[in-house]
Amino acid sequence: MELGFLIQILIWGLYAGCIYILLAIGLNLIFGVMKVVNFAHGEFLMVAAYATFWIYRFSDFNPYLVIPLAALILAAVGVFIERTCFRPIRGTGKLNEIFLSLGLIYLLQNLVAVVWSTESRSIHSPYSNVLLSAGSIKLPLDYLIIIIVTILFLVGFQLFMKQTTIGRAMRATSQNREAAALMGINVERMDMISFALGSALAAVAGGLWLTSGQLANPYMGSIPAIKAFAVIIIGGLGSIPGAILAGLTLGIAENVVPFLLQALAALFGSELSFTAWKDTIAFFILIIVLVVRPTGIFGEKGE
Amino acid sequence: MKLPSTTKLPLTQRVKEQGTKTYLGSIAVLVALLLPLLLGINPYLLTVLIILLVFIIYASAWNFLAISGQGSLGHAAFFGIGGYASAILAKSMGLPPLVTMLAGGLFAAGIGILIGLTCVRMREWFLAMVTFGFAVIVHTITAELSWLTGGWDGIPAKRLIPITIPNYILIEYYLVLVIAVLVVAFLYLLMRSKFGLALEAIRENELEAKVMGIDVTRYKLMAFAVSAYFAGIAGALEIHHFGYITPEVYAIDISFLPIIYSISGGLFTIAGPVLGTIVITLLDEGLKSFGWTYGRYILIGLMLILVVILLPKGLVSLPAKIKSRLKSGSAPAHMPK
Repeated sequence: MELGFLIQILIWGLYAGCIYILLAIGLNLIFGVMKVVNFAHGEFLMVAAYATFWIYRFSDFNPYLVIPLAALILAAVGVFIERTCFRPIRGTGKLNEIFLSLGLIYLLQNLVAVVWSTESRSIHSPYSNVLLSAGSIKLPLDYLIIIIVTILFLVGFQLFMKQTTIGRAMRATSQNREAAALMGINVERMDMISFALGSALAAVAGGLWLTSGQLANPYMGSIPAIKAFAVIIIGGLGSIPGAILAGLTLGIAENVVPFLLQALAALFGSELSFTAWKDTIAFFILIIVLVVRPTGIFGEKGE
Repeated sequence: MKLPSTTKLPLTQRVKEQGTKTYLGSIAVLVALLLPLLLGINPYLLTVLIILLVFIIYASAWNFLAISGQGSLGHAAFFGIGGYASAILAKSMGLPPLVTMLAGGLFAAGIGILIGLTCVRMREWFLAMVTFGFAVIVHTITAELSWLTGGWDGIPAKRLIPITIPNYILIEYYLVLVIAVLVVAFLYLLMRSKFGLALEAIRENELEAKVMGIDVTRYKLMAFAVSAYFAGIAGALEIHHFGYITPEVYAIDISFLPIIYSISGGLFTIAGPVLGTIVITLLDEGLKSFGWTYGRYILIGLMLILVVILLPKGLVSLPAKIKSRLKSGSAPAHMPK
């Protein structure tokens, strides 16, 4: 039972890790191009979950087909917020960005709470009863879809950044903004595209999160987003492989560590439960990694 | 975020400015002293005022850390640690809250130095993440250590002034007022001292500060200790006022409030957190009485965004800004980078 159960937990971790990765890639992109820290990224995930919910409610399409539409809406929201909020304070210091995103968190959470109430919403995925099983291990089809979608996005993202002109221009902007501007790259457009893409990735994460059976409420975004921040710091700023590795590690550690600790406590005859510690694991890893290696695992640039 | 430092102004103007500050400060204290006479002894209003004073201490403490360029997103940790340490000491040793409060502050300061040690070399938003995570960890530890902290139910805390004394809430108000005035005055003196100037130098340019011979690590740690100490005192005051403490003192909101207060009032100034706390608390309570449960936070969020973009020096800079705009007739030209 033990081994099968452990693999089961690994699958849960993989699933949570995919959500963190989708959020973290978007954050990494925005930070890379604009050097802006948007702590309200999780609120984009939350708004996207609501967008998915309402479009699904009114259209009755397969929720997975609704997600691209939600991503488009969120890309527009992202561009709007970049224009009105982040562009005016560019270059005035990191603290200002943190404070501004704090205002955005309050604004978006409570706007949603007023318009759609704080009642939890959920979607019934058409595949919620489909389980792929091998022996005692069960893999819900929804989880498999999320894992595949994440892989597709990662490959697509990598191709986009490496092969297209816009992708190359974005990488140039992130390496040296002034030089990129001198080379005729419209850096402000790159800001816009990076924010749109980042928000759309958060929207995909939000849509998948909701469709796979999680509840939507105005406060659902904060914790995943703050963990995604931990992920990009642990992995090293700007590093895509770092973000993937750290995202998967975190997703798995969050599910495995409480279980292992519980098994350990049981050896000593104690019935302690460690599920309450799940949300703290990201920060324990964060603090340990930063103490040992202040630039993160794959980070090159020191401060 | 460069501020024109007052030391560059001519001496006469500095003296004048100092005079205006003392003048405004005394008026504020006078109003606070007379307020219960004007409002009558209304327990609800006095409670609002006591919490307002507690948060003035708390926001000023957060702001003091920000002066050194370190913006914490997890000050609720120190607020709560001070509260729990004080409540547990008062319960187990039978000491009066005014004594255990100091111990709670010291305990918070000790933890503050420890977390500061991991933070001193970090860039701003790494520090924000670490402090935020630290508050989440402390929250979980407190909720899980139920033999000591009572878990989610919390523990009772001794009242600041026993309820058996007539007009105890009025006495409590004046007591907290005296403490708040002392703390703000102390932080003001500290800001004007060599220590405060060193912190400002570190914020403006850490490397230059180091070259000038400032021990950056030591000063940053000291800022952490002072800030955590007064945040702990504020936490202890709040829970001894309410008479109980639960892990709710670590709510994420509690970490964010001093930031909102300080920024809307005016970051890095002594009057900023005081003014910001007053304006936002009154706005909040006013809107709450209209039945705006969530709407008030929309307004506060919007205000925070607008202040950061349009009024980066906060409400305290509003009079000067209006004056200069009236004088020149148009907005001051933007400086080229």
